Amino acid sequence: MSLEAARLGLYPGQKATDAFARVPELATAEAEPEADAAALEALVDWSVRFSPAVAADPPDGLFLDITGVDHLWGGEAEMLADLQGRLRANGLSFRGAVADTPAAAWALARYGADGAIAPPGGQRELMGDLPPSALRLDLATAAQIERLGFRRLSQLFALPRAPFAKRFGQAALIRLDQALGRTREALTYRRPPTPYIERLTFAEPISAPEDLARVARDAAVKLCARLECEGKGGRRFELFFHRLDGRSPSVAAGLALPGRDAVRIARLLSPKLEGVDPGFGIEAVTLTAGEVEAVSGRQARLEGAARAAVEDGLSPLVDRLANRLGEDRIWRAAPVESHVPELSVGRALPLSPAAETRRWDPEAPRPLRLFRRPEPLEGVIALTPDDPPSQFRWRGRLHRIRRAEGPERIGEEWWKREIEAVGVDHVRDYYRVEDSEGARFWLFRAGLYKAGEPARWWLHGLFG
Amino acid sequence: MSDFRGKGLAALRAEIAALERGGRAACGVLPFGDPAVDAHLPGGGLPLGRWHEIVGEALEAETGAAAAAFAALVAAPLTAHGEAVWVFRRDDLFAPGLTGLGFPAERLIQVCARDEAEALSVMEDALSTVGVAAVIGEVETVDLIAGRRLQLAAETRGATAFVLNRRPFGGKATRPAGSSAATRWRIAPAPSEPSAGEFGLGAPRFRVELERCRGGRTGAFLFEAAGAYSWEKSDGAHPLRLVADLGDRQLAPTPSLAA
Repeated sequence: MSLEAARLGLYPGQKATDAFARVPELATAEAEPEADAAALEALVDWSVRFSPAVAADPPDGLFLDITGVDHLWGGEAEMLADLQGRLRANGLSFRGAVADTPAAAWALARYGADGAIAPPGGQRELMGDLPPSALRLDLATAAQIERLGFRRLSQLFALPRAPFAKRFGQAALIRLDQALGRTREALTYRRPPTPYIERLTFAEPISAPEDLARVARDAAVKLCARLECEGKGGRRFELFFHRLDGRSPSVAAGLALPGRDAVRIARLLSPKLEGVDPGFGIEAVTLTAGEVEAVSGRQARLEGAARAAVEDGLSPLVDRLANRLGEDRIWRAAPVESHVPELSVGRALPLSPAAETRRWDPEAPRPLRLFRRPEPLEGVIALTPDDPPSQFRWRGRLHRIRRAEGPERIGEEWWKREIEAVGVDHVRDYYRVEDSEGARFWLFRAGLYKAGEPARWWLHGLFG
Repeated sequence: MSDFRGKGLAALRAEIAALERGGRAACGVLPFGDPAVDAHLPGGGLPLGRWHEIVGEALEAETGAAAAAFAALVAAPLTAHGEAVWVFRRDDLFAPGLTGLGFPAERLIQVCARDEAEALSVMEDALSTVGVAAVIGEVETVDLIAGRRLQLAAETRGATAFVLNRRPFGGKATRPAGSSAATRWRIAPAPSEPSAGEFGLGAPRFRVELERCRGGRTGAFLFEAAGAYSWEKSDGAHPLRLVADLGDRQLAPTPSLAA
C-alpha cells in the first residue's frame, strides 16, 4: 500500500470493493508473497553493512543486533538516522526503533513513535502507552485481553504474574518477559553472528578487477591480524562487496583446518573474484570469519621429524582442491554402522581424524568396485532354491562360474520402517563367484525363492 | 666374466643411472621381496618418485577392478610414510573392499574430478604435496606432455604415482602411446586356488605382465594377494606373493567369448 493510499484513508486488510468505493481510480496489484520474501531477504543482505547479526522477521520486518557496533556511527541515534536516510533514498517507507530487547524494539517500531530510541532499561516507560497487541500475541489471546478491558501495556505490566499466566497462557507471559528483558529471545540470524568481521570503506567506489583482488588481500590481512592477536583461526571466510545500488554479492572460501594465513586466504578467494559483478562500483567490503576456533601457534618443525605435519602440505592441498572442485568432491571414506553394503560407507571430511576404533570387517569380502545401482543379469542358470549360478550373461559376455561362495543373506534395515511394510522381498542373497578366466563378481538374488517365479539376479560389484 | 670387467660394468651402470636421474637424488625402491620379480626391476624394486602405468585387458579396461586391486596392493606399503590420494571421475570405489585387501582406507583421500584434464592436474597437485606418499589416478590416457608433467611432480617430493588407464563404459579403446612412465603393468585376474580341503574362492590372484620397464627387463608373473580378507597382519612382507614366474614368453591371447 502506498503512502498516497494511506492518506486517502485506506488501510491494509480492507476489502478491495470497499476501497474501490472510496477511491474509484485506485490501482491494485496482485499480492506476491514470494517476491515480498525475496525483497526482504535482499534487504537483510543489504543490512549486513550495519551489523553482522541481521534476522529477518517475515513478512515485513527485520531485526538488527547493533550491540557493540553503534559507536562506529557515533551512537544509536546517528546510526538509526543513517539507516533511515539510506532507506528513504531507496524509496522504501518504513519505521524503526532501538531498544534493549528485540520484542520491545518490535513493539516500538510498529506502535510507538517512528525512530523511538529506548534508553537502556527504559523500554517499560516507553511501552506503557502501547496497545496489548504490540506484544506479538496470537489473535485469540489479544482479543481476550482487549475484551477484558486492558487497553494499554502499562495495565498488563502491573498484573501479578501467576494469575496473568493462568488467564492468558504461558506464551503471553513469555512475550511479556521478552519485551521487558526478563527472558532472552532467540532470533534466527540470516548468518550466524560472528564477531570476526572487518570492513574497508573507500572514498571512491572501486570496480577494477585488480582493485578487488587488492582489497580482498587487505581485508584478509586486517582480519588475520586480529585472529593472530587472539590466537584464533577461522574455517570459513566470506567477502561481501557492498555495491552502490545496495546489492552485496559475496565470495567465500573454506579451509580444511582453521587458519589465519592472510596470503593463503586471499589466494583462495582471488580466483572467485572473476564472478563478482561490480555494477556501478563498490563502496565497501566486509570480510567475515566463521567457525572460529582456537589455534595455537606452531613451533617450526624439527629436522628429521618422522611425518610431515598436516599443516605443511595436506591441509593447503585439501583447501585448494575443495575450493576448486567443490567441497563434495573430496572426502575420506568413513565406516557407518550398517550391514547394508551401500549404506556402510559415509563421507567424512578429508582431514577428519581417522576412526581407528571402527573399521569394516575385512573377513567379510566386499568388492572393490560397487555399482551405484545393481545391474540386472541375463541368462542366469542356477539350481533352485539357493545354489549360486553356473553361468550368466553381463554386458554381452557369457561368464561360466568356476568357483562360488555364499550365500550371505543381507536383509533390509527393517527397524527403520513401519512394521507392516517389512517383508522378505528386499532380502538379498549374495554370492562371491569367480568365472573361468578368474574375474570375481559379487552378485545377489533378490527376494526369497518362490516356486513358479523366476529368480531375479543382479550384479552389485566387482572384486579385483 | 673377470672381476675387472664386472667392476667396470658396475661403474658404468652407476654413471648411466646418475645421468638418467639428471642430478636429482634417487628416491629409493620398494622391493617385492622376491628375487624373481625384483631382478627385473632397476635397483631391485619398484622405483619410487616415478609414475607407473597400470592397464587392464578387455572388460577390465572399463571396470578397472583388477587394476585397482593391484594398484592398492602395491601402494599399501607406501601408506606407512604418508597419505594416499585416489583421483577418479566415476565414483565407484568401495572402501570396505580396499580394507579387505589390506589397504588402509582410513589413510586415503578420495577426489572426484570432473574431467580428464582436471584429474591429471589434481594428481600433479597431490604429488607435489608434502605428506602424500602415493597418488592413484584413473584416467583414460596420459599423453607425452602430461606424462612428463607427472614425472616432474613425482620427483619434487619423491611421491609415487599409479595411473590406471580406464576408459568410460562403451568408450573406444585407445592404444597407449609411448610414455615416460617408469613401468607399465598389464593386469588380468587369474583363477584362484583355495588351499586343499577348503571350499569357495582362494586368495585373489592376478596375472601380471610387466610390459615396459625403464632400466629393467620385461616379464610376466602370477601374483597372489595372500593376506586378503583376513584380520591377520602380514609381518612387513609385501602384500603380493609371487606364485609363479610366467617367464618372458608371450601369454596366450585370451579367447574372445563375445557371442
